[in-house]
Amino acid sequence: MGTIHSNTAKILVFSTEKISDPAIDMAGLLKLHYPPTVYTITIPCSSGIKPSWILYAYEKGFDGVFIAADGSDCVYGESCTEKTGNLVGKTHELMKSKNIDPARLRMAAICSVCSESFVKQMRGFNEYLLKTLHA
Amino acid sequence: MEKKPKKIGVYICHCGGNISDYVDVEKVRQAVEGDEIVFLSKTTMFACSDANQRDMVEDIKANDLDGVVVASCSPKLHLTTFRNVSERANLNKYTYVHANIREQASWAHSDNKMGATEKAIHLVKAAIAKSRYAEALESNKVKAVKAVAVIGAGVAGLKAAISLAEKDTEVILIEREAEVGGRVAQWGSLFSSQETGREMIDRLSAQLKLHKNINLLTNSEVVGNKGSVGNIALKIRRKDPETGAEVMTEMTVGSVLMATGFDYYKPQQAEFGYGVSDRVITMPEFKKVIDTQTSKKLMYNGREVKNIAYIYCVGSRQTDGENTYCSRNCCTSTIHAAVTARQKFSNIQNYHFNRGLRTYGKQEILYADSLRQGDIYFQSYEDGLPVVSVEGKKTIVKVNDVLTANREIEVEADLVVLVTGMVPQTDNSVGSLFKLPKGRDKFYNEVHMKLRPVETVIDGITIAGACQGPKNIAESVNSALSAATKSYSIISKGELESQPLVATIDPSKCSWCGACEKACPFDAILKVDKDGKTIAEINNTVCKGCGMCAPVCEPDAVNLIACSSAEIMSMIDALV
Amino acid sequence: MEQILKNISYDALVIGAGIAGGEAALNLANTGYKVLLVEKDLSVGGKMIMLSKVFPTLDCSACITTPKVSEISRHPNITLFTGSEVSNIHRVSDVEFVAKVTRKPRYVHVADCTSCQLCEKACPVSVTDQYQFGLIGRKAAFIPFSICSPKAAAIDIENCTLCGACEKVCPTNCIDFTMQPEEMTLHVRTVIVATGFNMFDPKKMPRYGYGEYKNVITALQMERQLAPTRPFNTILRPGDGKVPDKIAYVLCVGSRDASVGNPICSQICCMYSIKQAQLLMGALPMADVTIYYINIRSFGKGFEEFYQQAKGMGVNFVKGKIGRIKAKENGNLILRYEDINEGRLREAEHDMVVLANGVLPNGDVNNIFGDEKLKLDAFNFVGQTDMLASPARTSMEGVFVAGTATGPMDIPDSILSAGAASAEAISYLIQKTV
Repeated sequence: MGTIHSNTAKILVFSTEKISDPAIDMAGLLKLHYPPTVYTITIPCSSGIKPSWILYAYEKGFDGVFIAADGSDCVYGESCTEKTGNLVGKTHELMKSKNIDPARLRMAAICSVCSESFVKQMRGFNEYLLKTLHA
Repeated sequence: MEKKPKKIGVYICHCGGNISDYVDVEKVRQAVEGDEIVFLSKTTMFACSDANQRDMVEDIKANDLDGVVVASCSPKLHLTTFRNVSERANLNKYTYVHANIREQASWAHSDNKMGATEKAIHLVKAAIAKSRYAEALESNKVKAVKAVAVIGAGVAGLKAAISLAEKDTEVILIEREAEVGGRVAQWGSLFSSQETGREMIDRLSAQLKLHKNINLLTNSEVVGNKGSVGNIALKIRRKDPETGAEVMTEMTVGSVLMATGFDYYKPQQAEFGYGVSDRVITMPEFKKVIDTQTSKKLMYNGREVKNIAYIYCVGSRQTDGENTYCSRNCCTSTIHAAVTARQKFSNIQNYHFNRGLRTYGKQEILYADSLRQGDIYFQSYEDGLPVVSVEGKKTIVKVNDVLTANREIEVEADLVVLVTGMVPQTDNSVGSLFKLPKGRDKFYNEVHMKLRPVETVIDGITIAGACQGPKNIAESVNSALSAATKSYSIISKGELESQPLVATIDPSKCSWCGACEKACPFDAILKVDKDGKTIAEINNTVCKGCGMCAPVCEPDAVNLIACSSAEIMSMIDALV
Repeated sequence: MEQILKNISYDALVIGAGIAGGEAALNLANTGYKVLLVEKDLSVGGKMIMLSKVFPTLDCSACITTPKVSEISRHPNITLFTGSEVSNIHRVSDVEFVAKVTRKPRYVHVADCTSCQLCEKACPVSVTDQYQFGLIGRKAAFIPFSICSPKAAAIDIENCTLCGACEKVCPTNCIDFTMQPEEMTLHVRTVIVATGFNMFDPKKMPRYGYGEYKNVITALQMERQLAPTRPFNTILRPGDGKVPDKIAYVLCVGSRDASVGNPICSQICCMYSIKQAQLLMGALPMADVTIYYINIRSFGKGFEEFYQQAKGMGVNFVKGKIGRIKAKENGNLILRYEDINEGRLREAEHDMVVLANGVLPNGDVNNIFGDEKLKLDAFNFVGQTDMLASPARTSMEGVFVAGTATGPMDIPDSILSAGAASAEAISYLIQKTV
């Protein structure tokens, strides 16, 4: 697979039901545009993402994976930030060992009203991926 | 995974144009109709309409469907609607899968119809992939504590507490200050009421005391919380007003009603002369002055006050500052205060420097009356705000008045009153504690202004009064009573359904390392011996389904129901 | 659910199934109380279900209303009568009222109707469609509107010629001309009045030419043109079917105007006009939209931002009161107004004018009660005896009021007011049981 999109990169977003989903929904409500090749999979908490899923996404052709992390807002407690950080670190190691540019995995805390910051992240990530992968 | 292939129905919603103006819904339907498990696929003008819901029930029954996918708006709005449709057709509600092609496709990509359609197709395919794995699940029942904590004992908190107590509910009313009554207790005469603010609060306090099931804790703050809806353990710090000693108590409630109120905007140094001239004061300061003086002449700082200039929208409707919103009740409360001053003291002339009066509804009568009595109104737009200058002993207010074709007007004021707007409480520690989301205006945000106006995204936490945004007394009370009804409905049955989307452990892969136990924030992992082997087991009634245990499991024995590796990977396949 | 009478006593009677009455009924029903919900019209949903999108979020109104409507019509604790009226409510004891409910014949058995529309096609009589506010016609055998609930046909007997064409084509034989008005005497413990409001009739201000010039329409007529279930699928001016490109809004028509007997502000017109202006800019990108106003009252949560957004989109806001509207031969309209910024009289030409007509009390409230009348306020809205501390209380113990029956308000405020009325009613029911 791995189709090359001429103008936008394929980005998989892991977003959380209670925190970042509302922000991404609100971005739509406010018609804040971002590339339509950004796809969201909803999970309960960002610290529940398995590194194997992320690697699978690259294998199948996603250019980038973005974790819209709960940060300190997580409804399941403060340990979320550290745990999400750990799994990102672990994934970065695995990516290096497979010769995948670790910068193709990004994470940022997206709170429930962070619509603008989400859109900014997507546009920035898209530019980076286009520059490095589709140049 | 499944024995015989599933049969599902897929419904793609036009949303009356909200989706179909940008997404070619028929193309989406055609793209998925060939899928192995898709037995029928339809587009519909309004998936949520009664007629379509009825059609869905019939479709499910007539064709013996195993599951349904609806592609429409955000699941925040209608996931429950369609889960209920499934249940009415005798399907387990967890066989239902939702795809959001409005907020995350048609609206987000309204600039790119092809892209939006393409994305919608992938999103629906991913939902179908998920549907393949969606199984019937039974909810766990959790006991709900039949008590509600009301935080803040201003007018909203008091009314909410009384209303809950009348419904035979235990109430813990927690107030930071030594007295109840909040802002309203500080106010004198009120528009459209015979009572003063103080009298109204006294009346409500008297009602409060009649209810044995209200536990009022003053000088108290919530400093910690644990648990979730139905069972929220609060840590409350109470300060003894005499000794200053602090006592900590713990109380468990089923729901929390936030009524923490607002702060007044505090003008910056030199904003409209504030802090520069001693004749410039804020509206709350002015109210105190007119409420407390009994002389026939209005005096301020030893001088008689005749000409009063009111400058509206200070800290509201800002073009430069942070507060872009309108504070809603200041126009009326200012005119009311001005009229009160004119009636109470001799020789008062009121000059209102406003930006367009907003005495909405019946409050208009007050404005019309004040005009008749001789109050003078000057209006400006946001780009021509009044200027306050101190010239010797004089305090001058200047503006180019819109109402007289931009004539420059100058008023020498004995007193300048800055009509300061409502801002969120500066101390938001209790909001952060409960992780309450805030809107663009920094007030607490409801889930949906019309569908769920007093609920927050945190289950079991409702909001009331001005902590949600500027409101007058009657509006605060309406929202307080609505929130009381909501909190009551959460706990009144004494039992809540907890979601069955918990973690599962594959015993063949697990050989107990304890990593999941360490990761779990809720102590939901048990260490058990099974078939001669020590393994981990999930305590389903405690597990909240966060999934923190899954990535830390080296042998990959942990999966979350509805978020298993197989499901996520099949969704990834569909999205690429 | 719409059904035959099961019992003659209910915990609560809710009068009016608009958004406020519906919300109040659901709150009570979800707490376990048996509710009788009576609606005068053929469908539940009130005025809200007819709207296009709602301010300030631009959510589609049908998307918010329809799920509530379907929950109402399906709730096991709610008995719903549409096309029915309540009268002669009187107190028979400290804890009980008796009410007369009259169900007007629909001449269609709702349970059997599949809304196949064959009767509509067969009916030879065409009349003005009140559900599209007169923009188009409908038949005498008709389904009120596409998302009505119950979704079933009705016979407009006033206009029916009794030709029988509908009966012949009906595949389920659900049309029944022998239906008679049904009168019921029902016992209830508490009452919530949610009778809503009426719109000001702009014909009472002949200087604006409504009724005389076809291209002068009301805001609700524009609302229908903008709705997803709109009659024309685009925006047309009624005079000649031309797509307008210079549209004017006239605010405060019949509001803030003692000369027409309504001195108060209607509270919603500024915002619905700004909303319609935004929707028009979306539907007709080349069109010019001008709003003539006295004050813009964008006071609610997110409203001021919504107003600023409209300005940013290019909606013209002119501070000025319209004196008179005259039509030209080509159907265009000349608006004479006082331009307040400039301090002089001006004229402007537009090809379509929308009158933002205001909110008036619904006089039906007067006919509902027997000897003990509900006290009204100075403007003939339902009086609130403890307006600040208990806004849902009325002059009668056990009778509460919700939504715009107390005065103009927007949808979020109506819903909160309904929340308050149901909170008071639930407390009352519990206290009266103890």
